[in-house]
Amino acid sequence: MQNYEFTKEELAKIDKIIAKYPNPQPAVMPVLWMAQEKFGHVEPEVQQLVAKTLDLTPAHVYGVASFYTQYYKEKKGKYVLDVCTSFSCQACGAYDTLHELEEKLGIKAGETTEDGMFSIQSVECLGACGYAPMMQITNDVYVNHLTSEKLDKVIEGLKQDKLPEFEPIPLVQNREPAEEK
Amino acid sequence: MAEIFIDNKRFEFEGPTKVLQFILDNGLELPFFCYHPSLSIPANCRKCFVEAGQPVFNRETNSFELDENGERVIRFFPKLMTACSLDATDGMVIKTHVTSELVRRGQKDTLELILINHPLDCPICDQAGECPLQIQTYKYGPEGSRFEHKKVHKPKRIQLGPRVVLDAERCINCTRCVRFTDEISKSKQLTIVQRGDNNYPVTAPGLEFDDPYSVNTVDICPVGALTSSDFRFKARVWEMSQTPSIDITNGKGCSIDIWTRDNLVMRITPRYNPHINDYWMPDAGREAYKIYNENRISRPEVNVDNQKIKSSWNNALLTTSEKIQSIQPNEILVVGSAYASVEDNFALAKFFGQLGQEKAVFAPNIIEGSGDDFLISDDLAPNTSGCEFLGIDQLDKEKLAAEITSDQYKLIVILHEDVVGRQIVTADQLASKFSIYLGTNKNQTSAVSNVVIPVTTAAEHFVSYVNVQGRIQRTIPAKETLYTNRRLDLEMSMGRLDHFGTQFDNWVTDKNKIDCIPAWEFLVRLAHELNIDFKFNSAREVFQEIVAGTDHFSDVSYERIDSELGVDLANKQKEELNLA
Repeated sequence: MQNYEFTKEELAKIDKIIAKYPNPQPAVMPVLWMAQEKFGHVEPEVQQLVAKTLDLTPAHVYGVASFYTQYYKEKKGKYVLDVCTSFSCQACGAYDTLHELEEKLGIKAGETTEDGMFSIQSVECLGACGYAPMMQITNDVYVNHLTSEKLDKVIEGLKQDKLPEFEPIPLVQNREPAEEK
Repeated sequence: MAEIFIDNKRFEFEGPTKVLQFILDNGLELPFFCYHPSLSIPANCRKCFVEAGQPVFNRETNSFELDENGERVIRFFPKLMTACSLDATDGMVIKTHVTSELVRRGQKDTLELILINHPLDCPICDQAGECPLQIQTYKYGPEGSRFEHKKVHKPKRIQLGPRVVLDAERCINCTRCVRFTDEISKSKQLTIVQRGDNNYPVTAPGLEFDDPYSVNTVDICPVGALTSSDFRFKARVWEMSQTPSIDITNGKGCSIDIWTRDNLVMRITPRYNPHINDYWMPDAGREAYKIYNENRISRPEVNVDNQKIKSSWNNALLTTSEKIQSIQPNEILVVGSAYASVEDNFALAKFFGQLGQEKAVFAPNIIEGSGDDFLISDDLAPNTSGCEFLGIDQLDKEKLAAEITSDQYKLIVILHEDVVGRQIVTADQLASKFSIYLGTNKNQTSAVSNVVIPVTTAAEHFVSYVNVQGRIQRTIPAKETLYTNRRLDLEMSMGRLDHFGTQFDNWVTDKNKIDCIPAWEFLVRLAHELNIDFKFNSAREVFQEIVAGTDHFSDVSYERIDSELGVDLANKQKEELNLA
């Protein structure tokens, strides 16, 4: 088992985070982020490290980590494709997109490809219902209005380590006004 | 005094109180799952919905606004309120399901949502029969489910810790267990994981739920999600009879209920006692059912030619009385015990006092640092204070060993104390003396004693014990012995099986009844053999004599112990000092 530890600089940074709040509980999320950025995941050992650092019980940290799909409780691929399957996306065909993606990569949701490049997750609402169906890549860029061609393009890009660009969305105000009665 | 109107009835209240607690305190009914009087209030089950409103106060006229009928105008909260988290205020008007259709609808809909993913496995669920969810669904729930889809499946049969098993599908996420570990036992080992309909309580991965109070979460679980791995599938709730008693595995003496079926103790649960244990008890106390059921001494045993044989009571009495008559009273060492009751210790000391041996000794079993500051005390015996109050000489282990091995004594009478098992003396040292052991369970002392008299355990007799705080409590027999009978003894409780079972049914037997009598009763019989004026008809008579003759116990009676949930002997003493 790997030994996980924070460096002195990181501990100093964590102290600063803790100082922002009246008690250490709220610091769990930012410290879990730090840990995930450092180790690439928050496996139980990492959660225990976070708990120890913040003087909380491992149970509390586990509860927080398990609530958010954005924290990876196990080792994931280099790029994690979070396909939203909540209501709005579902209504616009998110499951079709998800299954297509699964076929393209040859893995199921929750799995990682053998080369360690891609993981697929089916996640809850990412707050982009207007651009459904959509997915997020490794807690970073949103890819909106997914189509089969778009998925191919994104996967090809990612294979060459190119993240898709942020897509500007036309403002709601610029739409045609609804007819007045 | 502040007033509150609940379903058009006026009540008065004092001080801050929550509406739900006030309703319960007044014997009214309001369904709830997540609320617990000793825990914080999350208001997450949404079951205790009420309509709540307050009278409209006109600041200009400095009076309540009245409608055309002269009644106060009530401004209701726009939505249903959870009574558990709602503070009662002066003039508040509450409508519960008794008067409000809206509340009835709210409760019904809440239940329908709670039941959506709840499995319909009541027939095989341990909680059935004492399950708030089951009871409230019968009473307030919808008649059927409109949910036609596959239920969400979650982990089942997870061994959370050595004593608790989780069935996550049954969980309704009331968080009582999580709050218990956070606020009461403070181990903080449980947490709610995942989110939405996948929620369930569990420990952090790789860690065990080994809290010394873990089984309390099973008691407070309002559904069958948490079950005790010991009691799981052993008995249905309605088969058992429930008897109030106290925990004898620890000096704290938690109030407990003993649940028996066919004279076997099936489980032990805590009983509310605000003076000692609130709603809780340590897990170790629940293991006491083994003391009551297993490895019992049944029928007296006498050593003949170095072989232990079962003997009749008459033979045991004769053997004992002959031995006592053959020696001088000052050659008898009388060993009382903090494991035995006040009555038995008193009777022992009094009997041998009348015989001529005034001295009785005992060695408390206190291990410093073995307890905590909650419900586990350093004192491992239930009646150390009782022995002290009776004036029995307190010796440490070494001194007691010196007494037992001393040449002065030719006969050792031991009440309940496992002197060999506690490593006070070795088996050989005790075997070299003639010893009489009055005990409940087979142990290393009974193995080497010359005469072994089976006596009743706390689950089989009416006696009292004094805990570490100096609080006296009493036990009521939960199990029958060969010589007691629930139908005749009106103080014993009778469950359904006891009422309706007969000896011709295959679930009622005699085999679980132990051939034993209370220690004081054995001494009464022995007194008859020895022609001593020592007579009691019941433990109550023994206790009355203690009360009459001992300062510490003055003014105490079984009735007072019952109605006041025990009597504090230590503080009573102080009060009297203050008066003087």
